[in-house]
Amino acid sequence: MSAEKKTLESRLLRGAHKTLTGLSPAIESILAAIVGLLIGAILMYIWGYDPWRAYIALFKGAYGGGYEWASSLARATPLILTAMTFSICLRSGMFNIGAEGQLMIGATASILVAYMALPTPLGQIVGLILAGTAGALWSLVPAALRLMRGVSEVISTIMFNWIGRWFVLWLTIFILRDPARAEKTVSIPVAARFPVMVRGTDLSYSIFVSIAFALVLYFILWHTTVGYEVRAAGLNPTAARYGGIRNKRTMFLSFILGGIAAGLAGATITMGLPPTYAIFGGALMPQLTNVGFDGMAVAMVGRNHPIGIIFAAVFFGGLNAGGRVMQFYGSNPVPLEIVRVVMGAIVLAMAIPELIRIIPAVKKQGTELFGLFKRLRKKNAPKEEEA
Amino acid sequence: MSDTQMAGAPPVQATLYLRAEGITKVYSDGTVALKAADLELHTHEIVGLLGENGAGKTTLTKILSGLLPPTQGFVTSPQGPIRFTSPREALDFGIGMVHQHFALVGPFTAAENVALSHERPFSGIRLAQTIKQLEELMEESGLRVPLNVPIEKLAVGEQQRVEILKVLTRDVDLLILDEPTSVLTPLEVDELFALLRRLRDKGTSIILITHKLKEVQTITDRVVVLRHGEMVGDVKTADTTTEQLAQLMVGQALDPETGAVELSDKELPQTSTSAPVDRSGAPILRVANLTSRGNTGEIDVDDVSLEIFGGEIFGVAGVEGNGQTELVESLTGLRVPISGEATINGKNILGISPRQIYRLGVAHIPEDRWQLGLVLPFTLAENAILGIHQWEHFKGPLAFLRWNRINAHVRELMDRFEIRAAGPSAPAKSLSGGNQQKLIVGRELAKDPAIIVASQPTRGLDIGSALYIRQTLTEMRDKGRAILLVSADLDEVLALSDRIAIMYEGKFMRVCEPEKLDREQIGLLMGGVSQEQEVAA
Repeated sequence: MSAEKKTLESRLLRGAHKTLTGLSPAIESILAAIVGLLIGAILMYIWGYDPWRAYIALFKGAYGGGYEWASSLARATPLILTAMTFSICLRSGMFNIGAEGQLMIGATASILVAYMALPTPLGQIVGLILAGTAGALWSLVPAALRLMRGVSEVISTIMFNWIGRWFVLWLTIFILRDPARAEKTVSIPVAARFPVMVRGTDLSYSIFVSIAFALVLYFILWHTTVGYEVRAAGLNPTAARYGGIRNKRTMFLSFILGGIAAGLAGATITMGLPPTYAIFGGALMPQLTNVGFDGMAVAMVGRNHPIGIIFAAVFFGGLNAGGRVMQFYGSNPVPLEIVRVVMGAIVLAMAIPELIRIIPAVKKQGTELFGLFKRLRKKNAPKEEEA
Repeated sequence: MSDTQMAGAPPVQATLYLRAEGITKVYSDGTVALKAADLELHTHEIVGLLGENGAGKTTLTKILSGLLPPTQGFVTSPQGPIRFTSPREALDFGIGMVHQHFALVGPFTAAENVALSHERPFSGIRLAQTIKQLEELMEESGLRVPLNVPIEKLAVGEQQRVEILKVLTRDVDLLILDEPTSVLTPLEVDELFALLRRLRDKGTSIILITHKLKEVQTITDRVVVLRHGEMVGDVKTADTTTEQLAQLMVGQALDPETGAVELSDKELPQTSTSAPVDRSGAPILRVANLTSRGNTGEIDVDDVSLEIFGGEIFGVAGVEGNGQTELVESLTGLRVPISGEATINGKNILGISPRQIYRLGVAHIPEDRWQLGLVLPFTLAENAILGIHQWEHFKGPLAFLRWNRINAHVRELMDRFEIRAAGPSAPAKSLSGGNQQKLIVGRELAKDPAIIVASQPTRGLDIGSALYIRQTLTEMRDKGRAILLVSADLDEVLALSDRIAIMYEGKFMRVCEPEKLDREQIGLLMGGVSQEQEVAA
């Protein structure tokens, strides 16, 4: 009887396990998003908001019309790039947490275009090149520390985020500052800006930089020998070495590509996000803050695949854009912070299949502990155990 | 089979401690590791557990120490039947095992490590009490280690003593040691043996897993020999000879009546050489005085020299862990040797990268196909070009991969090597072991190599796949390629090789044609007993 029950239970568990782990990555991500939204709804309910109306406001604000779509896409633009920074390094087996700092350095480098007075296509091109190069250079230091001295790239990239942040703030306030307004840098001249795509919105043509970079990265990773080596080294460094792949080279390369992506993300903000076209030092650079970190969440939901990242970025961009509508929505003003709760819950929900996977191990630990208690209780009783 | 008294040991009141009956172990992948093994253990006794790799020695001891449940059979003690679900239960009962790989926390001291092993949920660490207990125990056993030095600063022999102390603090009656001498210096071995004798005289039952015949003769009272999961011998050490044990270990049955060794009905497999090897020209691979260190820093390949000519299979036999892995890694660019020379067609191969070595015409079928041979999450196609992905044939402009050509190549490999898989885009981890190995073999042979280094090429494979891979190797030999075959499967080495070397502790004990040695001699050489020593003895 109990044996029967046990097998049924384990079969159910195995079934649930198979269903949840055998899902395609896309469905897993969508399920995670739903779970995240549900958790957000529960929290809103607890705090006395109407989740249904709040989410209607959120999604209307994100995808309710042309203006809303443009707004969401504009927010997705830098996220696509910073997500790529994280995911390409992860594909080569490294944790690059440094998109935040690399983005700020890239944004600052693109401001230099303001001093050059270049005609229209040239200004954008030079700005992107400057930003990409600066981002790559900023990521090279942690990469070199890792490859030559074995310094953990997780620590060094986080450190470099702070170094970058305060360095950029100093540049903004003391070096690149606007003579007319002390709290911001000089603005990018109109000729070097990415023109706005939909009038009245902040969506500019800079989104094509992001999408083009994602496509290029997709082709590099899955259709060139370079990408093949990066992926092989990331999945199994020992086998890669056996296959004649130089792992250090692939790591270096992925860091450079990641740095370029983060630098470009900075440029899409300074050169392509109306209305400022400059870095504001005022409230500690609000436009540039957290874009790099949000990119990591986007990369996870996008399953570290360039195409998946585009969709995930549009979703996260929508949450950001819609959240601003949600907090002003008439009788039910839900604070913007709840959107960040939803984002966090989604990232956590991404781990659910992994949790299901470890249930057997947890169960075993539990039974062992239980058995120990039982033994401790009958410690003084004579030993008689069944065969 | 006598099971009451043992010779050699002091006349003491040995009593039955444990009886294992009909123990069978089938692993979840279908491997039968043990077939109806019976074992009796007594107090005041050291039992040697002898056998080749995969003979089931470790499986048997893992069952006794509660790490694995048996598939069939049961263990009884004079107090009644016992069944453990965890090593902790076995320890509570009095059975402790010292594993080959130590379970010690490097930055912790010996005392802290021992205290940690006593820790129970919510019990806390009682360091002072442990130190007191350890000091008493060290006094009593003569087993000395510095208690307040971090483990990682201790020598390997000292670390092992900590492991033994860890088990002894639990008052064990049965101590199991898995290949304890493989990491020790000769002096440390003597100290260990002295300790084991003292423990035996105090009544402890001891199981010593080993493949070294000399040790069996030195220390054990009784020897149990396992071969392919079957118990082929259970004899008193004093009643047997090294030769008999060697024969038992490599495959001849013991007459249960007389204790003499019967000739097995299994004939020595003949080599399938079609023509004698032409050794008049220059060898393809030439290795001279190669010396290399293992991962832990000791010399694992010791002054090895060999030459392999085209059209020849050179087999390296020996119990695993005697330097074969390090030899292969040194020759394939995965390990940098400390001295010696190695050339392929006259060009140096030491200290250069695997990529450069491959360009000189070396194909490598690695011993560990999951870690080294394949990127498991990769597809069949992606795995089929590992190492040859830079070929012009597969590359378009701008380093683009020509997937249509790669897929065509994979389909060809699947046809030729009978790789059963859903298609070129099936993940490699979905393949069976045999098909994975065929994929590796196919990929390596596609390199059109001058020399093939095949390390354990048929390990864990079903008979059909193993046969196919052996045939492929002989075909390549007949086409004039040189082959270095390293295998723990003695039958395989004997059947395929034109010449064999027997490796023991990093050295070639003997290099000759397989016909010139009989199994007894091979067994002796594998166990580290060389001809000269025999003469001297």
